[in-house]
Amino acid sequence: MQTFTIKPFEMPPGSAALREQVRAIIREHVTDGDIARRANCWQVNDPQFSRALAKAGFVGMTLPKEYGGHERSALERYIVLEELLSAGAPVGAHWIADRQTAPLLIRYGTEEQRRRWVPGIAAGEVYGCIGLSEPNAGSDLASVRASARRDGDGWVLNGQKIWTTNAHISQIMIGLFRSEEGSERNAGLSQFLIPLDTPGITIRPIINLTGEHDFNEVFFDDVRLTADALVGEEGRGWAQATAELSLERSGPERYLSSMVLVTELVRHAAATGDPAATALAGRFVSEAWTLRQMSLAVAGRMAMGEDPALEATIVKDLGNSFEQAIPQLVQQMIDLDLSSDDAIAVLTAQLLQVSPSFSLRGGTREILRGIVARGLGLR
Amino acid sequence: MNEQQTMLADTASGLFAELSHRAIVADDWSSIEEMGFTGLLLSEADGGFGGNWVDAGIVFRLVGYHALALPLVEAVIAARLASSVGFELAGIGTIAERTDGKLESGRFTGTVRGAAWGRDASYVVAPSPDGGALILPTADAVIEQRCNVADEPRDVLHFSGVQGTPVEAHVHALGAAARTMQTAGALDAALAMAVGYVNDRKQFGKPLGKLQAVQQALAVFACEAAASNSGAVGVAQALDRGDSTFEVAAAKLRANMAAGIGTAIAHQAHGAIGFTQEYELHPLTRRLWSWRSEYGSEQFWSKTLGAHVAGLGADEYWADMTRRFDSIL
Repeated sequence: MQTFTIKPFEMPPGSAALREQVRAIIREHVTDGDIARRANCWQVNDPQFSRALAKAGFVGMTLPKEYGGHERSALERYIVLEELLSAGAPVGAHWIADRQTAPLLIRYGTEEQRRRWVPGIAAGEVYGCIGLSEPNAGSDLASVRASARRDGDGWVLNGQKIWTTNAHISQIMIGLFRSEEGSERNAGLSQFLIPLDTPGITIRPIINLTGEHDFNEVFFDDVRLTADALVGEEGRGWAQATAELSLERSGPERYLSSMVLVTELVRHAAATGDPAATALAGRFVSEAWTLRQMSLAVAGRMAMGEDPALEATIVKDLGNSFEQAIPQLVQQMIDLDLSSDDAIAVLTAQLLQVSPSFSLRGGTREILRGIVARGLGLR
Repeated sequence: MNEQQTMLADTASGLFAELSHRAIVADDWSSIEEMGFTGLLLSEADGGFGGNWVDAGIVFRLVGYHALALPLVEAVIAARLASSVGFELAGIGTIAERTDGKLESGRFTGTVRGAAWGRDASYVVAPSPDGGALILPTADAVIEQRCNVADEPRDVLHFSGVQGTPVEAHVHALGAAARTMQTAGALDAALAMAVGYVNDRKQFGKPLGKLQAVQQALAVFACEAAASNSGAVGVAQALDRGDSTFEVAAAKLRANMAAGIGTAIAHQAHGAIGFTQEYELHPLTRRLWSWRSEYGSEQFWSKTLGAHVAGLGADEYWADMTRRFDSIL
């Protein structure tokens, strides 16, 4: 049994220079301010920063040039992402559009859809959200009930999506709807590209436990879309939505959400010489190095055209557990005044509160482990 | 793996599976020598295989996978170090974990501990009291026979004024690297046994593997085995690149963590049968427990690595970590 297959690959030439470019942008735009915003930074929105990043060519990096992209390699994109995430740059606004919406439209969209939306995404101006979960379809996503009914040339959508991150700042949603009446489970589902200013759509905020507004409920009440709103093939929505999961599950955002706190811990260890802080920093760096090896190995295999789905799932489960444990262990080992303005205290306080979501979003820990178990030949 | 590595792995796997934890140096070492495994890290000019550390990593992982009860990894490392300074290779070489003593005019007096199969070795490479490593012939050593919890010989050798040959090498780090590779293999093997067992064993009218609680536990195990294997490959690549102090620390620490979690889940999944001498889970788990302590515990390596990153500073440690793997062009 070999649990994790690694194939040798090289980082692209010019990696070091590329990192320097990204770090320069971060130094220019991410100045001291609200330190808490550096935690879990891919869910922190800053449209101004998204535009600045896009202007430098770091949004839509792998997309074709004719749609505003830059035709860089997947590994170059990886380098840019890990630099942004490890520094705590506010990349939330464009994150989903860059990672999922644009590649999906390039792969399955019509020419008109691509021309209409992709250049805006690559410019850091068009944002996207994902309409998957419903009140009765969370981990059990195949029980999606929101419906798409054919109406003449077009479609009529009805139903409700929930936990929709960034619906309130997005222009478009890629939503999974039941397009075949009476279909069951993962059959009869289709993906739709939905401009969120379409009449009949209501977006309501759901405020999270820190008081922040990330996710929403989205209601569809006889929402009329033209025929080309269908993305890809009718009835193939499940396969299309799950095909990209390896990319979504193994990226650097799956283990780096708390890395800024590791950095502050290193600073604390260097300043105080506290042996407990030093040892804990060593442990975190060991885990981060290992996860980076794993995440890069998956990225490397995907760059070769493979789909290492099981490995990607393993990266997400381990990575989420790691980034979730960081604030807990810092709190356990270091005397902190969580009411202070010390960076280490501010980040610990913020991450203690937001980290429960790390093993929920994008597939819960239990679902992931079920997938790993199936990969082992259990079930 | 390239074609040559696949052949190497197939050959090693076949032989190690046959020899297994029942191997005995007196009877079985010749088959290792015949296959040329001890020359794995020697150049072809020196009569070796001409392999690199990634190749060695493949073989060392299989030593762990099959719980091979022979000092193969130690002999490979010792031969490489000895050959690098022209020390004449004869008999089995081994490495040792710790040294207490002093060096006077090139002569060593003191004690070397944790020498794998020291009783069968003709020379041992140990950390030198003056830094670097020291190659010591064992002919005049007083040997105190000891074993780790897996019954692998870990002898204590007492030397009195024995001429040592210095070699520039971090033998402790190389030992740690080897243990990460062996740990990766042993974890994969224990995982395979656990998966096989829960798919066979029926309780409540169905295989244990159908129970979600069991599935979730084995998934955790798989993640740990995967982490350990990734670290082992990473450390081998770093050894081939040159400076590997960071990667050895990171990989051994992570492998130790994985060994702790993996052994616990392997035994829990097996129930009482896994706790018997007859059932062959223990050659793996007892090795994993031993190797977790050998060449640095989690605490040792977390302090080492923590001091390293604190020394680099908060604004540099990430850049240092990424630089190690980037193409320079």
